[in-house]
Amino acid sequence: MGCTPQALVESAIREGRRKLLEHESLCLCEYYGIPVAKYGLARSSTEAVEIAKKIGFPVVMKVVSPDTLHKSDVGGVALGVRTFEEVQEKYTSIIRGVMLRAPGARVHGVLVQEMLPRGLEVIVGATRDPYFGPVVMLGIGGVFVEVLKDVSFRVAPLTLVDAEEMVKELKGYRLFKGFRGEGPRDEAAVVDVVLRVSELITELDEVAEVDLNPVIVFEERHGAKVADARFMLRG
Amino acid sequence: MAEHLRRLFYPRAVAVVGASRDPSKIGHIVLKNILSGGYPGRVYPINSNAGEILGLKAYPRVSSVPEQVDVVIVAVPAQKVLDVMEDAGSSGAEYLVVLSSGFKEVGRADLERKLVEEARRHGMRVLGPNIFGYVYTPAKLNASFGPSNVLPGGVAFISQSGALGIALMGYSIVEGVGVSGVVSMGNKADIDDADVLEFFREDPNTKVIIAYVEGVADGRRFLEAASSVSLRKPLVVIKAGRTEVGAKAAASHTGSLSSGPMLWEGVLEQAGALQAKDVETAFDYAKLFSAYNVPPGPNVVVITNGGGAGVQATDTLAENEVYLKEPPADYVSYLREFLPEFASTRNPVDITGGAPDEFYYLALRGALEHPEIHAVLVLYCQTMTTNPLKTAEAMVRAIEEVGCGKPVVAGFVGSEEVQKAISYLLGKGVPAYPTPERAAQALAALYRYAALRRVVEKRAEYLRAARGERARLGYAESFVRRSPRGPP
Repeated sequence: MGCTPQALVESAIREGRRKLLEHESLCLCEYYGIPVAKYGLARSSTEAVEIAKKIGFPVVMKVVSPDTLHKSDVGGVALGVRTFEEVQEKYTSIIRGVMLRAPGARVHGVLVQEMLPRGLEVIVGATRDPYFGPVVMLGIGGVFVEVLKDVSFRVAPLTLVDAEEMVKELKGYRLFKGFRGEGPRDEAAVVDVVLRVSELITELDEVAEVDLNPVIVFEERHGAKVADARFMLRG
Repeated sequence: MAEHLRRLFYPRAVAVVGASRDPSKIGHIVLKNILSGGYPGRVYPINSNAGEILGLKAYPRVSSVPEQVDVVIVAVPAQKVLDVMEDAGSSGAEYLVVLSSGFKEVGRADLERKLVEEARRHGMRVLGPNIFGYVYTPAKLNASFGPSNVLPGGVAFISQSGALGIALMGYSIVEGVGVSGVVSMGNKADIDDADVLEFFREDPNTKVIIAYVEGVADGRRFLEAASSVSLRKPLVVIKAGRTEVGAKAAASHTGSLSSGPMLWEGVLEQAGALQAKDVETAFDYAKLFSAYNVPPGPNVVVITNGGGAGVQATDTLAENEVYLKEPPADYVSYLREFLPEFASTRNPVDITGGAPDEFYYLALRGALEHPEIHAVLVLYCQTMTTNPLKTAEAMVRAIEEVGCGKPVVAGFVGSEEVQKAISYLLGKGVPAYPTPERAAQALAALYRYAALRRVVEKRAEYLRAARGERARLGYAESFVRRSPRGPP
C-alpha cells in the first residue's frame, strides 16, 4: 500500500512538509479503516483517464502540490468532470494553470476523485490540547464550520458511548433524522468514523491535527465517506 | 491520594503562622474563625512577638509547639513562607495551607516551585498558595478568612477564585444552603482539583460538589477524578473563561474550535458533570441534590394554583427534556372529589387560584401515595386569599405523613411572606425556589444527572473491557479493529 503512517511521516519530514498531501491523507484514512471517496493520483493525462475509468463518472480533479494553499485560486480544481476527453483536457489545464499562476510550485500530480452524491456534511477532527492531550471533534461540517460552531468534543481515547453522545449533542442532530422527505442518515457510520479518528490520534504521536471535512453522510445503511482530509504533523 | 487529605480535613492540631492581635490582620481573622467555629482540636498561634493571642499562648515557631501539628496555616508575606515551610517540615507537619499571595500569580513561579519541592521533600503537601483557606463543617473547622457563620450541610464547594469563593460562602448562608466543605484552590501549586474531588467523593458528609474552575494543569487527571465523582454523587461545575484563547495558531478548523469553550463542554459531558452557566444555577442544583440524588421514575406531576406558573414550568421542563404526561386516571378522579368544577386535572394540575392550603395538602398527598407518580413539582403564586406559609406547612405535612422519599420541589412566587415560606421549606429539607422556572430547572437536573451517570457508567464498562482486551492481545489502546484497504 506504500502508505503506512511511518512512511508518510518520513516522506513529509524529508520534504520539509508539516502537512500531508491529499492522496497521502486519504491513504492514511484508509489505513485506519475510514471510508473515503475513491481516488487515485495521476502523473499524466493518460493516468488520469485510467483512474477515472476505474472510479466512474463524474469525478473531481485537484492539483496535488505542497506549495499551493488555495487550489481553486490557481485554477487547480475541476468539479463534475464527466468524460474521458474532459479528464484529459482538465489535467492539462490544471497543470498549466498552476505553472502560470504559481510558478515554481512543486506539483506531485492531479488527484482524480469520485464525486460524491449529496448528503449531510459533517466534520470529524482531532487535535492535541495542551491540557487534555488528544481530543476528537464532531460537528456540522462544510465551509461554515467555524461560523456555526455546532461541534462536540471528547478526550481520546473514546468509547462507543462517547461517540454516540457526541452525535446526539449536536444542535443540528435533527438533520440526522432526515428532513425534506429524505430518509434518516447513517448515524452508525459517523460514530464509526469518530472512533477511528480517536484511535488514529491516540496511536500516531506525530499527527498534530486532523480535519476530515466534509465527511458526507448518506442515508441509513449507506455509510459515510470522507471527501477531503487534512493532516497536520507536529512542528 | 484522597486518604492522605484526611488529616487536612480532620487535623488533630492546627497552627496559625502569622496569627496576630490586630483584628484587621488575616492571621487574626483565621484564628478567630477557627476558635468561633468550635474546632475541638488544639490550636496554636505562631507569632514571635506576642505572648498571647485571643486567649491562647503564642509560640515563636511551629517547631517550638510542644506537640506535632498536622496542619500549618500560613499567613505571612511570601518571602517568609519558605522559612516557615522549613520549620514546619522539620517539626513533622503534614499540610501547609498557604494563604499568602505573591507567587505564580505575580510572576514568582520560581518561588512557588521551590516551596512545593521543599515541602514535598519534608513529606508535606501544600494547599494554595494565594487562597482564603478552607472549611470543613463535619470537623467544625473554619480555617478561612471568610464568613464565620457557615451553615453545616451536604454541599462541598471548591473554588479557584478567592474573592468569588468568599462571596459564595456568604451567598450560601443567605440562601440557606448548608455546606460540608469550602476549599479555596488558589494557584493549585500542589494539591489540585482532582485531589480535593477525590476526598469529597469518598466523604459521606458530602452529597453534592460545586466546583468553580478556571483551568486545570492536568486535564486528564481532572477528567478521571470528575468521572469517578459522577458515579457516586453529582458534580456541578461552573467553568469560567476559556482554554488558550487565541494563544494557539491553529492550522485546522478542529484546532481553532478547540481553543474555545466547546472543548470544556465536551470534557464536562464526558465526566458526567452538570455544567452550570452561573452561580445561581449551581446553588439551585446544590439545594436539590442536598435533598435528593436518586433518579426517580419518569412521571412528574405539577401542582399549581396559577395557569401561567404551570406553563412556565412545563416549558422549562421540556427544554430540559423532561416531558409531562397526563396524570393517572384514578389520581384524576381522586382530585375531582375535592376540587371545584373549573379546576384542571390535566398536567399541570391547576387547583385554582383560590386554592386553600388543604387543596395543596390533598393534591400532594394523593400524588405521593400514587405508585405511578414519581416526582412532584408544587407551584404557588401568592394571592390575597391564600397564605404562603400555611401552604408550605400543608406541603410538609403531606410529605412527612406519606414519608415515601419521592422528590418534591417547590416554586413559590410572591412577596416577603413567600420568602419566609421558602426558608421554612428549605429548613424542612424541601428544595424551594422563588420562581417556577428555577424550580423546574432544578428538578430537571435530577433527571439530567441520572442520564449523565448512565453514560459515565457505560463508558467505564467499555474502558474496563478495552483494558482487558489490550492485556489479552498485547494491543495498543484500541476500540475499533483496523481494516486496511488499499487505494482503488
